[in-house]
Amino acid sequence: MMSKLIEVPALARVEGEGGLYIRFKNGQAEEIRLKIYEPPRFFEGFLQGRFLQEVPDITARICGICPVAYQMSSVQALEAALGVTISEQVRLLRRLMYCGEYIESHALHIYLLQAPDLLGKESVLELAAVAPDVVKNALRLKKIGNDLLKAIGGRSVHPVNACVGGFYRWPDVGPIRALLPDLEWGLEASLETVRWALTLPYPELELDYEFVALHRPDEYAIYDGEVWSSKRAPVPVEEFDRVYLEEHVPHSNALHGRTIDGNVYLVGPLARLNLNHEQLSPIAQKALREADLKLPLRNPYKSLIARAIELVEAYETAIELVKQYHPSGKSQAPLTLKTSVGAGASEAPRGLLFHRYAVNDQGMVLRARIVPPTAQNLPRIEADLAALVPQLVSMSNEEATLTAEHLVRSYDPCISCATHFLRVQIEEVK
Amino acid sequence: MTARNLILVAGIGQSLRGDDAAGLEAVRYWAEQFPETAAQPSVLVEYLETPGLTLLESLRNVSGAILVDAMQGGGVPLRRLSGQELRCFTSDSRSAHGLGVAEALALGYELYPELGKIPIILIGIEGHTFALGEPLSESVRRLLPHTAQMIQEEVLLLLSGQKAQDAPQKTC
Repeated sequence: MMSKLIEVPALARVEGEGGLYIRFKNGQAEEIRLKIYEPPRFFEGFLQGRFLQEVPDITARICGICPVAYQMSSVQALEAALGVTISEQVRLLRRLMYCGEYIESHALHIYLLQAPDLLGKESVLELAAVAPDVVKNALRLKKIGNDLLKAIGGRSVHPVNACVGGFYRWPDVGPIRALLPDLEWGLEASLETVRWALTLPYPELELDYEFVALHRPDEYAIYDGEVWSSKRAPVPVEEFDRVYLEEHVPHSNALHGRTIDGNVYLVGPLARLNLNHEQLSPIAQKALREADLKLPLRNPYKSLIARAIELVEAYETAIELVKQYHPSGKSQAPLTLKTSVGAGASEAPRGLLFHRYAVNDQGMVLRARIVPPTAQNLPRIEADLAALVPQLVSMSNEEATLTAEHLVRSYDPCISCATHFLRVQIEEVK
Repeated sequence: MTARNLILVAGIGQSLRGDDAAGLEAVRYWAEQFPETAAQPSVLVEYLETPGLTLLESLRNVSGAILVDAMQGGGVPLRRLSGQELRCFTSDSRSAHGLGVAEALALGYELYPELGKIPIILIGIEGHTFALGEPLSESVRRLLPHTAQMIQEEVLLLLSGQKAQDAPQKTC
């Protein structure tokens, strides 16, 4: 009878604070808890009583890495509530803004957060010492995404300008067009990223996931779409929270996502790629073919490859959208306030992000509901760790702890969004 | 003006977390007390909220930098460190995926050798409370005039072309 406890007091290279506790006995998980102890941030509470046009900029503050996702889900939810139809030009500019966020977020995670794990390096500092050009390229890839956000939203972190109905003003064409050479470089560098990602050593772990992501028949769904699952019928966004529920668990200040029948599910790059690979843009599609991957990808560590392909998608799409950017007419549709409820969702870099708002006829928020991707993935990460336990049994405590950390980090969990993150403890009971 | 004669004065921190805003507030206070210095074309004033790696972008085109940030380390109210000394620190940063000022600078020195040739001074303000939604602690608030004076002296030193005293390059 062998039991073991693994605890990592502070997991590095994730956003936010929390802890991981694993106790196993005879090779089986007895207890796995992602302990999210960061205090709740009450965003949904203090949105109540705010004017609806404040919502995009307030919710953007939930996360420094994916503020655009919060803006895009919130404006869509509020536009649905008011029955506003945005112009095609607004939609294209919002997609372009989202490309900037994917670029900066994915470049950060691929090279600076997950790759050091796969290469046996403690951090990007060690990676920089042996491969400085790789890290320099990574920083340049990331910076181009931030520059794109700045050109559209005025600043590279927590951009402003997006509003309910469109944008406060059309960004100037010049600074956006000026990014084309960098974007062309980024497209080539992201293709190289895919080739490099395929050479990395990924631990063995194949799991039977329920993949959930937005889907559109005509484009790789990031900005909007219908909610698709690999194991159940599609639902429109406004019915998302009738099928995908949240529950409170004692060890976490973040809610846990579950399907209506109690299953855990996966959102994020693996889910998107597996459900939507046929909608990738031509160059990303070609990169996927050349990668010769067997889809669906079911190894959580290989979400890095999915991110790399999405990096190509984001650069390729950004180039097309920059070339198409010819703003004309009003940048913002008029709003007619009324008492109503609306829902919206978009694909944050870490997965599906759902918002629902009830507003009154003065445009004040009565209720707000935000379901971030990391909260949906938390029970899935715990299930993955349970599946990993048979591998951990034969490892030293140090190696087992590191292996568990790597798995959590492969999700790029954003505890700032779900509330925050991470300390790890693994225990084997004798 | 070329970037080579531009001095960066950057307040670093988080405005919503108590004394984590010390650097931001100290630079703001300095800019109010010494507006003629802060407004000079050769002085670039920035307020960087949890900059992470973007700190490197701010540093790459200047000829010298004074960074002001909250610290926790031994109770010294105000501390002056060179960039070379700071690279040997590891922070307990939980923001921007754990890439705090020390980590960003260490990465910068690794990747961009030219960064090692410019004077980078960090003024650290000992913080006491970092809870979400808290204001600056009284002890940090009392330090603001003194910190502003310290910033001013460092700025004038860099503007005068004198090389700030820097520690020799260290291997951590």
